[in-house]
Parts: sequence; C-alpha cells; structure tokens
Amino acid sequence: MIRMTGLTVQFGGVRPLDDLSAELAEPIVGLIGPNGAGKTTLLNVISGFVMPTAGKLEVDGRSYLALAPTKRVRLGLRRMFQTEQVVEDLTIFDNIVAIIDHVGSDDPVAEVGRAVAYLEIASLDRYGAELNLFERRLVELARTIVGRPKLIVMDEPAAGLTESETATFRHHLLGIPATFGAQVLLVDHDVDLIASTCSETLVLDFGRRLAVGPTRAVLADETVRRAYLGALS
Amino acid sequence: MLTSPLPSSGARRYRSLVPIAAGTTFLAAVVIAFANAYWISTFSSVVALALACSGIAVLYGQLGLVSLCQYALLGVGGWVALRVSHGLHASFEICLLAGGLVAAMIGVLWGLPAFRLRGLYLAVVTLMLAGTFQVVISASGFPDGGPGFFGRADAAQRQLMARPRIAEGDRAYLAYAFAVLLLGLILVELHRRSVPGRAWALIRRSETGALAAGVNIAFYKAWAFALSGFLAGIGGGLLAGAVGQLDGRAFTAADSILVFALTVVGGAYDWFGPIIAGLLLRAVPSLLTDFAVNGYIALVIFGVALLHALVTAPVGIAGQLSAVAARFSARLGRAGRRA
Repeated sequence: MIRMTGLTVQFGGVRPLDDLSAELAEPIVGLIGPNGAGKTTLLNVISGFVMPTAGKLEVDGRSYLALAPTKRVRLGLRRMFQTEQVVEDLTIFDNIVAIIDHVGSDDPVAEVGRAVAYLEIASLDRYGAELNLFERRLVELARTIVGRPKLIVMDEPAAGLTESETATFRHHLLGIPATFGAQVLLVDHDVDLIASTCSETLVLDFGRRLAVGPTRAVLADETVRRAYLGALS
Repeated sequence: MLTSPLPSSGARRYRSLVPIAAGTTFLAAVVIAFANAYWISTFSSVVALALACSGIAVLYGQLGLVSLCQYALLGVGGWVALRVSHGLHASFEICLLAGGLVAAMIGVLWGLPAFRLRGLYLAVVTLMLAGTFQVVISASGFPDGGPGFFGRADAAQRQLMARPRIAEGDRAYLAYAFAVLLLGLILVELHRRSVPGRAWALIRRSETGALAAGVNIAFYKAWAFALSGFLAGIGGGLLAGAVGQLDGRAFTAADSILVFALTVVGGAYDWFGPIIAGLLLRAVPSLLTDFAVNGYIALVIFGVALLHALVTAPVGIAGQLSAVAARFSARLGRAGRRA
C-alpha cells in the first residue's frame, strides 16, 4: 500500500506536487491527469530521484524518503519508464537478469524462466537490438516482475503499441498482482487501459489531488471530466 | 510460450572465452615462430600496450567514459614494477602484480571525477592528471637500481629489470607477455559476461535507468576504473621487463591521447580491438621504418583513421571485421541449409 501525506515538491517557483495526500491500496492503481499535473514527478519521488520539500511517503508501512533509490529497489520497488530502457547489446536473458544481480535471488535462472514463461517471451539469446518496440516493452515488463517485486510503477508503458499489442500488454498487466504479489501504480493517458486494469485511480491536476477512488466513479466525476477527460470529448 | 531453453550464464561465459584463447594463441605462435629479433622486441611492446588499450576499452566500450590518462597509468605500473624489482628483488610476477594494483588504486582516485563528470569534462580532467604524471616522472625519473626510493644510478651502475626465470630470452619473454595478455583479455571478458558487465551496460544505456534497476553507479564506475588501471599497470610492468628500464620522457600526456584514439580506431567493443590498437601504436611505425619511411608519418595516418572511425565506423576495425565474419557465417549457414 502507498501512503502519501502532504507530499510537496518545489522547483524554484514551480510546485509540481502540492500538499498531496492519498492512500492507495488496490492491486492496480491508475494515476492520471493532464500534462504537467505532476504524475512523473510523483513517480520520481517514489523512485527516490526527487526529494520532496515536505511530506511523508510510506510503502507497505515503511517510510521511503530516507532510503536511497538502490535500497528501495532491493525492498521491491520496480519501474518502467516512458522511454524504453532495453540495452541493445545485451541478450534478453541478460537484460532481465541484470535486475536480479542487484536485488538478489537464490535461483536467478529460474526467476527469469518464470517471468518469460508468464509473458510468453521466446528466444532469450536474442539481443536487445533485434527486438521491436512491443518485445522491448515485454522485456522491460519482465524486468519488473523478477526479484520479488512489491511495488511496480509504470510511466506510460503502452505508449506506441498497437491496439492488439496493448490488449496483450493489458492481459499480462492484470495478472501481475495475483501471480507475483506486487502492487502496480500505472500512469497512462490511455483511459481505456486505465479503466480496464485499475480498480482505483488517483487524478492529479497542478500537483494537487483532484480525485481518488474507484476508477469507474472517478472517471465519471464531473470535475475530473472537465479538467482532464473533457478535453478529449 | 517459452521456445528456447534458459541459457546457463556459466556456459555462455566460458564459451565466449574460446575465440579469445584461440585467437591470441594463434597470433603468439605465428609471431614467435616467424618474427626476427627486431619484430620480437616490437611485439613485446605491442602486447604491453594492448593490455593498456583493453583497459580503455572497458571504460569507453562498456561505460562510454573517455579517460585520457591511460598511458600515465602504464607509466605508474612500470614505475612500481621497477621499484619493487630493484628495491626488493621480488619475483617478476610480484612486480607485475604490484604495478597493476597500485595503478588500479591510482586509476580509481583519478576516476573519482567520473562519478560527477562525463564526456568532454571527464576527458579534460583525466588529461590534466596525465600531464601531472608527465611533469612528476620527468622530474623524478624511473627507478634504475639507484640507492633509496627515488635514487638514480649513474650510467655505469644502471640496472635492468630482471625478467622471469622461465622467460629470460626475448622470444620466451614475448611468449610470456602473450600469456599475460591472454589472462588480461579473459579477465575483461569474464567481467563483460557477468554482474559488473551487465551493470556497466545499464549505466551506459541510462544512469537513471540503472539507478532504477538497483545499480550502485559509483561502485561500478570505481570498479571499471580499477580494472582499467590494473590492466594498464600490468602492461607497464611488461613494458619495463621488455626494455629492462623505462625513460620518463616517453610517458607524455599526448601519448595518452594517442592510446585512446587508437583504441577507438582498433575497436573498443570486441576483444581483439585492443590488440589491433597495440599493433597500430607500435607495429605500424616499425613497419614504416622497415620501408625507410619516417615513422612519424604514422601520426598522420592515425589522424585520418580516427576521423574515419568516428564518422563511419564507431565500432572500429575490430567491429567491422566482426560484422564481416558474421555476414560470412550467415551466408555459409544459408548455403548449408540449401544443400
């Protein structure tokens, strides 16, 4: 569970996060908002790349703010970036096992095997350079589910995928909490993806909490529709 | 569906050592069997410099870091190896290891700016350190058997560094140097194929991404600088053993730039790139001398080659040769399947 209390980030005169408080306990939580709402900043705070000016952040009851980013990863935090991060001159196997190297595992090969079997990834000796965008995204997804993950934060992981690829991605995403025991925090502009995967959604606007609650109710909320979805209709 | 068996990382790691061992052994056998005394001596330097270049390949090829103090670290390794040899009369292997370890430590210290700097700024800082070494070594000189720690002997009493007992002759020493080079290349390959190599690859791809993968960036960068310095230090010890003594005027900051440039030309991404770089550094000038052409013409050739590498072939000569070999192998495979 993610608990944030009065989370504030100030960059000079800009305040990307402003007194943000929320408790997010559902297995897959959506995080939406217009551009500049503070979504990526919040992911950066959770990852430890940005230190908040004020506030508290707890994940599974443990205070995160005093922890180095690498320590958070060892505790089970994983991240998928908006731009894909597959290393082109490493094989699929090495790309995945590179995470386990730093979080530890009794049997890294078996862990990789479990992840690639779940995601139906074939030919592990192919190099990153040989993979298309969808395959790269699957390899990145595999990297998030190895090494006993506890919280996976994803920043627009399906951006650039075709409709059928997004459907496959959605299918894999839905099974992660039950199969790997991790909570997922998903940032995406694809409202259909959010609606079909997230049981709870937090909406940000100008760094502040606009709404939080069951996804269906949040997406039907008039304030949310005006601030975010209304622009799409 | 998982259609290929999970690779065993151990098996893959050791399989990649086969071409390194075969290639280096073949080159050593050909040179030792056919080279005359002049070329035997030249190749001893080629091997020592190839080790230093393999250290640059670790930093540049694995991490994308431009370090311009490698020739100075070669000098540090040579200085320590000579000092330990003359002062303690230790075995050659101990002298080599001492040179490698001290150069590794200094490599880490000199690499400290890399934790904050990249690209041109790191290059400038490391070049300044190479310049510092040039000044210090010009003033103090290399140990030559003189009294005390910094003492210098006069011409009549100057001593040569003792070579290993099993390799006192020039030909045997070259075989010994090739064996050390092979061990160095294997050390680098084992790093590339295991935890540090994967961590370096993640850092090169994106430091933020590496951090999100749990990589301790400062630790793995320090590790790379230590390995790079170690290889340069071992190379310096081999060079000292090959020549018997070293000349402080030969370790200029400009040479550090040349070593880096030719590692890029030779290829920083394939195991044999550093050997090509070593050949370019020592064998090409010697070849030009053989043909009665001024060896300094090589600098012009190197400049053109660097330009060519940066513009059209960033993987260097070794990378281009590997690509040709891969295409040839694929064509053979297709022909075999058709038959």
